[in-house]
Amino acid sequence: MVVKVNNLVKRYGDLLALDHLSLEVRSGEIFGLLGPNGSGKTTAINCILSLLKYDKGDITVFDKPMSPDAYDIKKDIGVVMQEVAVFNELTVYENIDYFCGLYVSDKAKRKALVDEAIDFVGLNDFRKFRPKKLSGGLLRRLNIACGIAHKPKLIILDEPTVAVDPQSRNKILEGIVDLNKLGATVIYTSHYMEEVEQICSRIMIIDKGKVIASGTKDELKSMITLGEKITLDVFNIEEAQIEGFRQLRNVTSVDYSEGILVIRSLKGKNNLERVLEYVKSEGISFGKIYSEMPTLNDVFLEITGKELRD
Amino acid sequence: MPVFKLCLKIFKKNIPVMSIYFGVFILVSFIMMSNASGAQLGYSDVKTDIAILAEEESVLIDGLKTSLSDVANFIEIGDERSEIQDALYFRRVGYILRIPSGFTAEFLAGDTPTLAKTVVPGSNSNIYIDMNIEQYLNTARLYANAMPDMDLGELTDEVLNDLAQDTNVSMLSGERIYGEQGMMQYYFNYLAYTFMFVLILGISTIMLVFNNLIIKRRNACSPISASKINFQFYLANMFFTLVSWLILVSLSLVFGRKELSNPNTLYFVLNSLIFAITASGISFFIGNLVKGREAINAVANVFTLGTCFISGVFVPQVLLGEGVLRIASFFPTYWYVKANAQIAGISNLSWSNLNGVGNTFLVQIGFAAAFFILAMVVGKRKQMAVEEE
Repeated sequence: MVVKVNNLVKRYGDLLALDHLSLEVRSGEIFGLLGPNGSGKTTAINCILSLLKYDKGDITVFDKPMSPDAYDIKKDIGVVMQEVAVFNELTVYENIDYFCGLYVSDKAKRKALVDEAIDFVGLNDFRKFRPKKLSGGLLRRLNIACGIAHKPKLIILDEPTVAVDPQSRNKILEGIVDLNKLGATVIYTSHYMEEVEQICSRIMIIDKGKVIASGTKDELKSMITLGEKITLDVFNIEEAQIEGFRQLRNVTSVDYSEGILVIRSLKGKNNLERVLEYVKSEGISFGKIYSEMPTLNDVFLEITGKELRD
Repeated sequence: MPVFKLCLKIFKKNIPVMSIYFGVFILVSFIMMSNASGAQLGYSDVKTDIAILAEEESVLIDGLKTSLSDVANFIEIGDERSEIQDALYFRRVGYILRIPSGFTAEFLAGDTPTLAKTVVPGSNSNIYIDMNIEQYLNTARLYANAMPDMDLGELTDEVLNDLAQDTNVSMLSGERIYGEQGMMQYYFNYLAYTFMFVLILGISTIMLVFNNLIIKRRNACSPISASKINFQFYLANMFFTLVSWLILVSLSLVFGRKELSNPNTLYFVLNSLIFAITASGISFFIGNLVKGREAINAVANVFTLGTCFISGVFVPQVLLGEGVLRIASFFPTYWYVKANAQIAGISNLSWSNLNGVGNTFLVQIGFAAAFFILAMVVGKRKQMAVEEE
């Protein structure tokens, strides 16, 4: 086990930030920690890294107890903080070299690692740029390069894509998958369910410091009763026809607004086929129709009664 | 030593701003040096231009001229009223001595013949000429009274011989004599301004970077212990302090190179080193308090200029009011300037003379300790607040 957290409790005064949180991260996986803002993701990460004192619980990393002076453990961990941790006075190269230098003292070896990291995050054209000259996306990439240059066995990324444009976000996500393929175990926290769903092999959803669900994305989706969501662009529909949709098997709700009909259904086979048959039988004309499987947001919604981004 | 190297890199980025202050120091030192070479501040032998209108010739009068030749230049003028007035008006001479006919005979007979003098109004140089004439005649009178049979030529020789005797005087303490010598105090006083500003700017900038919570946490994730990071951090700041001190002291010594042989110079250097430690303590304290780069510049300017003004860096302490000096005594700059004045006043390096300077050094060291402790207390409080976040 790369990381094992058992019954972690952290309080900020009266606020219970982590409520008996337990998790296990296995070697070679991308472990996603998903939760809304303020759910305790960063607090959990800071406790794992021994940056914060906690009230109760045990944390082991690489099967050894984690503590502030566990330097033999820390040398194998790469950290990408939520806030960009770079020096504005240094260039891109100097920043990566500094953080890599905290782990690797050999100059020649470090140079090769820094070059590799710059290459990996695609900052070759910006080596001599100061952070202030970089866009938000490039800055995040620099932040990642600073965290992974020393080739750690465990990489912890705390919301690395916050305030990043979609293009840079995809680049970052692809990079994380590549790092994992190169052998690193990754802990990835985010409140963007799409990202977690896209790259993580196992996901833990937390809210108010408590674990509310954990497993692979399929396992998580199987925990809920909700099935697919079918959306149709309908130009003209009568109330009786909407009611007809409601009567179809597995359908739980039908909403019609501004020409868009949304049909939600429970899990089950042939939901889309039944909807299509009804449309044909009623002679309802439509522009397009598409079906979506439940998302992690649906999982969160069903378990907590609120949206992930509330 | 990644932290050490990082600190040096950040110091390097601040060189352009710091070099402005080094430049100002050099410029002001140049100005002071050129002012000093105008000899406005010191004493040096200047001969007064005098004219002697002797109505008789004698060995005694020749002897007087010989005696005065050490302090006067003899100018020939005509014995006409208009010529005398012109000579005085146009300052060709500052002193005209008229020796009346029969002066020597009357003098040897024991009388007090009158010597007439005409001087430029408001001139001080005539006093020195008066003193020399009086000294010559008094000595001659002593010989004439004591040895009435002595030949006049012999008497004159004896008088001149006596007046040529010098006595060495050692000053145990006292005010320093200004002149080409004595500028070292000014260079070292002014050093306080540049030094304080450069240190506050340099050290506080580094403190600001390392006090950043994100950077602190990021460093704490690394396998380098906090004590090692702190050690490298303090080592870099010490290195920066020493390099800045070396540059400024070297510049001061270059400007005051004429006084390098003076043993007091060593104490000026020692005083500046103690001040360097105190200034770095202040910089650590300020670095722990300020939260932004703009604030550092503002604080560095206000604190440095303010304390330097009231402590006597720009205006001598003797010209400052008692109340101002009382307030200034709560700042180490005051004690640094005071120590420089004490060092400048030492004419021989005895234990009793150094005692006063030593006390001033101790006050500065006390300030240094106080600021370092304050900096640590503030830093610790901040650290505890961060751990609770």
